[in-house]
Amino acid sequence: MKKVLTGAFLAAFAAGGAHAADDVTLQLKWVTQAQFAGYYVAAAQGFYAEENLNVTILPGGPDVAPTQVIAGGGADVVIDWMPSALAAREKGLALVNIAQPFKSSGMMLTCLKETGITSPAGFADKTLGVWFGGNEYPFLNWMSSLGLATDGSAGGVTVLKQGFNVDPLLQKQAACVSTMTYNEYWQVIDAGIAPEDLVTFKYEDQGVATLEDGLYVMEDKLTDPAFADKMVRFVRASMKGWKWAEANPDAAAMIVLENDATGAQTETHQKRMMGEIAKLTAGSNGALDEADYQRTVDKLLAGGSDPVISAAPVGAWTHQITDLALQ
Amino acid sequence: MSWLVFVLVFWLATWVLNARLALASGHRAVRLAVPLLFGITLLVVWEGVVRGLAVSPIILPPPSAVAVKFAASLPQLWGDFVQTFVRGALAGYVIGCGAAVLTAVAIDRSVFLQRGLLPVGNFVAALPIVGIAPIMVMWFGFDWQSKAAVVVVMVFFPVLVNTVAGLAASEAMQRDLMATYAASYRQSLVKLRLPAAMPFIFNGLKIAATLALIGAIVAEFFGSPTRGMGFRINAEIGQLGLDMIWATIAVAALAGSAFYGLVALIERWVTFWHPSQRN
Repeated sequence: MKKVLTGAFLAAFAAGGAHAADDVTLQLKWVTQAQFAGYYVAAAQGFYAEENLNVTILPGGPDVAPTQVIAGGGADVVIDWMPSALAAREKGLALVNIAQPFKSSGMMLTCLKETGITSPAGFADKTLGVWFGGNEYPFLNWMSSLGLATDGSAGGVTVLKQGFNVDPLLQKQAACVSTMTYNEYWQVIDAGIAPEDLVTFKYEDQGVATLEDGLYVMEDKLTDPAFADKMVRFVRASMKGWKWAEANPDAAAMIVLENDATGAQTETHQKRMMGEIAKLTAGSNGALDEADYQRTVDKLLAGGSDPVISAAPVGAWTHQITDLALQ
Repeated sequence: MSWLVFVLVFWLATWVLNARLALASGHRAVRLAVPLLFGITLLVVWEGVVRGLAVSPIILPPPSAVAVKFAASLPQLWGDFVQTFVRGALAGYVIGCGAAVLTAVAIDRSVFLQRGLLPVGNFVAALPIVGIAPIMVMWFGFDWQSKAAVVVVMVFFPVLVNTVAGLAASEAMQRDLMATYAASYRQSLVKLRLPAAMPFIFNGLKIAATLALIGAIVAEFFGSPTRGMGFRINAEIGQLGLDMIWATIAVAALAGSAFYGLVALIERWVTFWHPSQRN
């Protein structure tokens, strides 16, 4: 009975859907902002339509874990950071990186100069603000490579779970807070703190950067040729969107603003963010650089007493999609 | 498949057993067995269905996995419990309820406060917790003090309204009697009106008992040190540690029920004279 019904449904789809666009649902890692400009541009400029795709972009937020959304079947493809995706893979959620539009990491620690911190060695016995919910891995990793304990013991660092703002720094409750080059750093500046009063440590410069904002799908779905073909077209159109956004940052920021249903974003902030984002996506054509992947995995495996992943992942990425999409 | 059959059989068997027990004589042990059996059945059905349908542990872990995680992380769970319940919720509960009862007495005394303070109390109660929590973190820092502050705001109003209503509960005839005895305001408050208000006050205290724990946990989502039940839930969801989240939920449920039970027990002891406490 079940088989007959499924068959009937499939037939109905095949008959009715021959010309209809294929649906793809994309779960963002965060709220609508220029960090995801490439996808909004691809939708607004008709790049998805050219590939016969009907893409639904779901904004995320503090209460949305992309890994859980895809595990529950709420999206076909999600944007996530590699440490969180690899950790989820080890927990049994077989995520695969199919494309990596972000070449560089935008994560940094921003400290007040008055705390006297001039180098990472100065973190000892200071309070540092960190995001959790999957974003803590790069930080924990960095601290363990510095040999600083994060459990609050003497000589280590005291960790605060900071909200998604920079208040702990402004209130001087923390010596340093986590910021992204394209977002929270500018909140500090907008709050009236001059750049010369700040010391920033980019994960990228410290050699502890891990890959951010990659595209991940469920491994078992990739064996379905129809799904794989859909992803090829999706990645091709998305990368076209990204390169368009890099070339036209201001116009891309405006497209993002039009798509911000919350009305929370401002033009200045989005244009500035797009300018910073373009620096991170530059140098990636969408295909994952194996060396970057290896560096991320090595960093995560070297995580001291509490490593993010315990064994080198197998099959956590593929060029299957990008090879076809970018030829 | 065999799991599903087992679940079905087990469920029917316990259903029949429970139905018989419920009709049987009201011996104390039997009365306790009925809800206990129901709870056990629920857990067995959960376990069986998760195994039978091979549900991914990321969506719903079986209770056995949660129990294993629970047993393996006792020190961590205890640390979270102390941070969130003992420091955050309990401190906030005591401060909030104490302040509410005192305020209610003041409101009862003065018409001015009655007209001015009650609407403000109502207003504070209507503030959404997700709006207050980040502000409290900004004011009182990241540690338990800000969580206690959120709890104070949450529990204040239900206790206040119930106490105000309770203070008005003594009858005019009783108050007249106190007046004929030449009782002072203080004497009639302590000997008549506060005791008469106790059933109402405990109503508020019981509502506040569950609110306090919810408030303390949710407040931790907006900034916390790296321990606490809300922090744990928030941090584990990012690494899909659903077993740990369920273990934390179990702790919250146990702590919440125990706290509620304790307040109910004190109520029974304080308001022994009230008709609702008679057997």
